[in-house]
Amino acid sequence: MVAKKDVLHVGIDLGTSRSSITASNGATHVVDSYVGWPIDMVARKVVKKSVLFGKEALDNRPMLDLHRPLERGLIKEGSPKDEAAVRELLGHLISLAGAKEPQKVHAVVGVPAEALRVSRQHLRAAVKGVADALLIVSEPFAVAYGMDALLHAMIIDIGAGTTDFCVMNGRYPTDEDQRTLTHAGDSVDELLVTLIRTRYPEAKFSVHMVREWKERSSFVGEPRGSVMVTVPVNGKPTALDITAEMKRACESLVGPIVETMLDLISRVEPEYQEKVRHNIILAGGGSQVPGLSAALEKALIEVGNGRVRAVENPVFAGSNGGLAIALDAPDGDWEQLPG
Amino acid sequence: MLREVVRENVDLLSTRAPRKVLSRSSSSRRWVRRSALVLVPTLLFVSINAISVGRASKPDLVVFSPGQEIPLLPLDPNAPRLVLAKPRRVDPSLFRLGVTTVVIDPGHGGADPGALTAFGLTEKEITLDVSRRLRDLLVQARFKVEMTRDQDTTVSLKDRAQFANGHSADLFVSVHVNSVPQADRRLVETYYLGPSDDPRVDALVGEENRGSGYTMTSFKKLLDGIYADVRQSESKTFALAVQKELFASLRKGNPALQDHGVKSAPFVVLIATEMPGILAEVSCISNEAEARNLSHPAYRQSIAQALYDGLHAYAEERSPVPSKGS
Repeated sequence: MVAKKDVLHVGIDLGTSRSSITASNGATHVVDSYVGWPIDMVARKVVKKSVLFGKEALDNRPMLDLHRPLERGLIKEGSPKDEAAVRELLGHLISLAGAKEPQKVHAVVGVPAEALRVSRQHLRAAVKGVADALLIVSEPFAVAYGMDALLHAMIIDIGAGTTDFCVMNGRYPTDEDQRTLTHAGDSVDELLVTLIRTRYPEAKFSVHMVREWKERSSFVGEPRGSVMVTVPVNGKPTALDITAEMKRACESLVGPIVETMLDLISRVEPEYQEKVRHNIILAGGGSQVPGLSAALEKALIEVGNGRVRAVENPVFAGSNGGLAIALDAPDGDWEQLPG
Repeated sequence: MLREVVRENVDLLSTRAPRKVLSRSSSSRRWVRRSALVLVPTLLFVSINAISVGRASKPDLVVFSPGQEIPLLPLDPNAPRLVLAKPRRVDPSLFRLGVTTVVIDPGHGGADPGALTAFGLTEKEITLDVSRRLRDLLVQARFKVEMTRDQDTTVSLKDRAQFANGHSADLFVSVHVNSVPQADRRLVETYYLGPSDDPRVDALVGEENRGSGYTMTSFKKLLDGIYADVRQSESKTFALAVQKELFASLRKGNPALQDHGVKSAPFVVLIATEMPGILAEVSCISNEAEARNLSHPAYRQSIAQALYDGLHAYAEERSPVPSKGS
């Protein structure tokens, strides 16, 4: 049996947009979930690396075969590059955590619930060999575990590719306790691009710029001020007011989330429904959209009120939960779980 | 709770299908059912032994798998032995199964716009328009056609699959438009249900048959597995026919188009439908030139025609169908 001190325990949130790691040595890191390989010898000479990650990969994308491996919350089957990208990304995160030889690494990897549900074998193949022992869990479960919200709680994890719902009943969630929507950060970005292009056809901008605008100025409900951005229009930097477009794009999330949330609550045993309604936790990047919690609470009024709160640290809520699982899992269990 | 997580991961490592976590009530029902399955044959076995050899010793319970020799009762080393043959894939072409009813599933719709073009065109509009054009072509050729949606409405994946199953469709075609991060890519690809090589059947036999030999229940599930396999191979053949026509037809006016072939993938609509089905990514909206093409009715018509040609070719191969307009 390996002594605890000889092991570096890590929790990893393998997200569509960003991936984070929290390690038992106190290290925390986050990278954008992009992995890129130089497309040819010239590109390799320019970037001086065999593989690039995160923002560095995104910034050098013209020279790279760029992959965002969990697009739409899934690993595309038959895509060895996406599998390799997942492996590279995990390896990179673990190297950032700084395990010291001969320390072993025991990792808990949280993945989008949909990926876990439909691509288990694929995921396992993709993450093989990145740690000495490895446990895969669904992301909402990791968040719930980290927040000790294991009984009469609902986690709504609004990521980039998917929004995952998970009702915690004091046991490991079944498929019936979980739902996944593709209405998430990426769909908001796409709608925002369309709306802005429709209103300002001459404006030049990319989806990456729109993503930054959204992260800076998203809101649901009443705006706190005008959302102004500067983009080239016919070659001239021009200030555009995108307040209405931002509101419409962000509020496109509300309907599907409310519908799914109410449906899941209605399936909880009647005596526990009120407890669940008052213990709804928003996680993921989307949890930070101002006004979203209030909009969901407003929707809960018609079924008898409720409380919706957002996690304080959406970037590390999943990886912190993963670390908590890693530290709680008995040594005997780890021995059954080779990396 | 952690034990359950670990067990699921261990199952995955040993390539067993993950066990479903059951609620307490269903667990107890399952326990009672399993107990009956094990106890009844066990008691019978014990009784036979008690009668034949005059003592009621508890026998070892053995799990048999396909291809393994099963000794006939009583366990006499000299007794003749029965070998259960491994199930063999059924070739559906033997049955000359005809295609009459086709369910077309226009992807997305209503609150779900799907992918978007730079000019504000949505995937849901394109899939609906292409699907309507495909429907018209199929109806002309005397196929019976149903659509999971004929308007801009939200339809869940579960409802789409149930619709196809409820209409006893012979084929299911889900129409989608791809969107990829690499804006220079112009690809068409067609998916079918997969993967099929997971050990679900073995796991079912092993679990359901534990301790009492093969039961009718486990045998039925075994057969279900085989037919699922047939459905997958049919879906692949169907996907190959459609992809061939899609690429050949669209490449003519679009030399930059890339053939990404057919792939298996566990899309929910393909898993939950009970007939051969495909999900066709008929174009790539993230490419600006391709997106412009998609705004032209003629291009959409050519996509619908290619889907029709592929479907017709597949159906013709299975059993001759009336040609268009005849």
